[in-house]
Amino acid sequence: MFTPEKMSRLLIVASKDQMAPITGTLYRTRLFHIEDFVVDGREGYDGFAIGRPLEGASEASGDLVKVRALSNVFSISAENVEPAGRHRQSDLKKVIERELATIGNETEGLTARRSKLEASIKESEQRIAEIAPFAQIPVDLSFYSGYERFSVIAGYLTKNVTIPEPAEFRIVKGKTSHFIVAVVPNENRSEAERQLGEAGFTAAPIPAESGMPQARIDDYQTKIAQARAEIDSINLNIDAIRQKHTDFLLACEEVLKADVEQAEAPLRFATTDQTFVAEGWVPASSVADVTAAVMKASGNKAFVTELPVDAHDVVPVEYNNPSFAKPSQFFMDIYSRPKYTEIDPTLMLSIVFPIFFGLILGDVGYGLILLALCFALRKYIKGEDGEYFLKIIRNASIVSIIFGLLNSEFLGFPMGYSPLSFSRHLRAEGGGHGPLIPELLILTIWIGVLHITLGRVLGMINHARQDHGEHKIKAILANFGWLAVMWGVLLLIWSAVAMPLMPDLTGFPVLVTVPGLPMDIPGINVTMILGGIMILAGIVFIARDSILEVIELPTIISHVLSYARLMAVGLSSVAIAMVVNFISIDMLIEPQLEQISIVGIVVILAGVVVFILGHALNTALGILGGGLHSIRLHYVEFFTKFYKGGGLKYNPFGLKRRFTEE
Amino acid sequence: MAVEVVGTDIAAQTVEIAVKSQLGMKALGAGLAVGLTGIGAGVAEMGIGSAAVGATAENKDLFGLVLILTVIPETIVIFGLVVALVLWFV
Repeated sequence: MFTPEKMSRLLIVASKDQMAPITGTLYRTRLFHIEDFVVDGREGYDGFAIGRPLEGASEASGDLVKVRALSNVFSISAENVEPAGRHRQSDLKKVIERELATIGNETEGLTARRSKLEASIKESEQRIAEIAPFAQIPVDLSFYSGYERFSVIAGYLTKNVTIPEPAEFRIVKGKTSHFIVAVVPNENRSEAERQLGEAGFTAAPIPAESGMPQARIDDYQTKIAQARAEIDSINLNIDAIRQKHTDFLLACEEVLKADVEQAEAPLRFATTDQTFVAEGWVPASSVADVTAAVMKASGNKAFVTELPVDAHDVVPVEYNNPSFAKPSQFFMDIYSRPKYTEIDPTLMLSIVFPIFFGLILGDVGYGLILLALCFALRKYIKGEDGEYFLKIIRNASIVSIIFGLLNSEFLGFPMGYSPLSFSRHLRAEGGGHGPLIPELLILTIWIGVLHITLGRVLGMINHARQDHGEHKIKAILANFGWLAVMWGVLLLIWSAVAMPLMPDLTGFPVLVTVPGLPMDIPGINVTMILGGIMILAGIVFIARDSILEVIELPTIISHVLSYARLMAVGLSSVAIAMVVNFISIDMLIEPQLEQISIVGIVVILAGVVVFILGHALNTALGILGGGLHSIRLHYVEFFTKFYKGGGLKYNPFGLKRRFTEE
Repeated sequence: MAVEVVGTDIAAQTVEIAVKSQLGMKALGAGLAVGLTGIGAGVAEMGIGSAAVGATAENKDLFGLVLILTVIPETIVIFGLVVALVLWFV
């Protein structure tokens, strides 16, 4: 529960002819996390080489490429499709080749036609662009070419120009440049070009067309429209084919992917001429099952044994949590998966996170809105991570409602009874009293002290489990030292000042009277001396482990005070709610209700809008504030005391089938 | 007689003014505490935030880590808020 799933290292040795059945079995059981064989001259692995793929690997990959190409044409992706039913793998394999070919042929013609049409549209557009400048000159396009003694020049000018006779020219004036078409006798051509060059001439091609320009443009535009219509109908056809075959294609992809992965598994095994060795990790509870399955598949012709786990082994990590704590694994993976030898704090996170969230956003109204939002978003957010996230928010909002009942808050309004917890109401209305800031502050400080103490204790346990020799003792003592300093500081404070909700140690007899201390402290008493000793001893323990850590001592105060955000962020959300209520109801709606007029109704509507927008904003801030600050308290203040992370994800060889079955 | 009445009046007024201005100073202090720490947190998060977005664009797995780094300076403004609340209510 507090540690990851226990893993065993399994070694499978068999002759090469057993490779296919054994990989098949391992794939089916989906428990064996293969440790890739690397040729690194390890002792005992001389003469081993990386294995070759099984037979049929290349055909399967070829088919897989085809399937994926088709899926690409149809833009199908497995994540967005809910499986309608399961195809039997054996049935599928019989028809795969034939069906793929048929679907391929069906779509190939259509996609080829589509690309051809797209190309023709491009070409027509190009032609239109060429003809367009000539459209202003009502001359048949065929007249622009086919002369022996004349040259036709067309292009753009930046300045106006006049070409002397014998030449004929037309200029179409534009905003920034003018279009010119000129017909000059061949012998005058160079002279005309010089003149044009001075006017900033750039040549334009003369379209090889016949007919009036506007008519030609219209022709091409009809062509484009026709092509577009045909493309639309092709897309409809492709869509129909897609709908018919989506399930089949995804099932094929799954089967072929399984085939390819199995066929390529030997690339991760060590092999000799006759045998192969597969090494990997299996949950300790499943060792017997895997062994039995491998034995059965190979007809007892394999050797399976459990290897001892070395301290330096990188063991894959699989969470081992009760089902209610599983969603919190999402937050753990965002930070980092625990190492195999580490305490897994998921369970604590799953309990404490909603409580923190509730402390911050303890409001029945916002809790209900969030809960409704969670159920509404279920339709749209898919996938394991998304589900986990929604479940976390759901739990958090339920706790938020509970805290809201304790706080007697509904969208910032008091609910008609005085709060059962420390009041967060900013105004003393509805029979309650104003906010109990000192109590709330000290409550959150207590939470911080306890949470950090828990973190440090876990740190000691982690060091006891992970380290060896002298360093182990030093590291454990350093963690103890941090605790001693923190509680020492607390003792000092308790002996100096009396505070609500905190033990009052000021009553102990003063041993040494020191005049002139701040806050009327008469002198040093027993508990102060004890606190001082704890602080000094703690610093010594910390320094023994690492002298540099001593400069981190102020973080004891800042980390504990950081938990004050539980109160501060919560109060700011209460304040925003209160302000929204005040503006919308007290300022806009209520005065108008006394004497209803047409303007009044508009003002009332404005009030309603302010109310809705304001509370929507506060809900969004509540999710951000409540969620982000709660998780941050875990990540920054709690985890840094004991948690390193960086574990390797347990990724068993096999496939979670969605569209097919054996 | 009359002089004495005026005298107590002035004394009462002076006390009232003193109390009110003390309240004003408190409000000012609370506002400064939240406002200045807010600016501080903003300035601190500015650099981290832009670097974080860059890092996430390069490698999505870093999201969790950079989120933590980005919210670390948030503590500054929380301290400011706590100081303001303590000033105002305690």
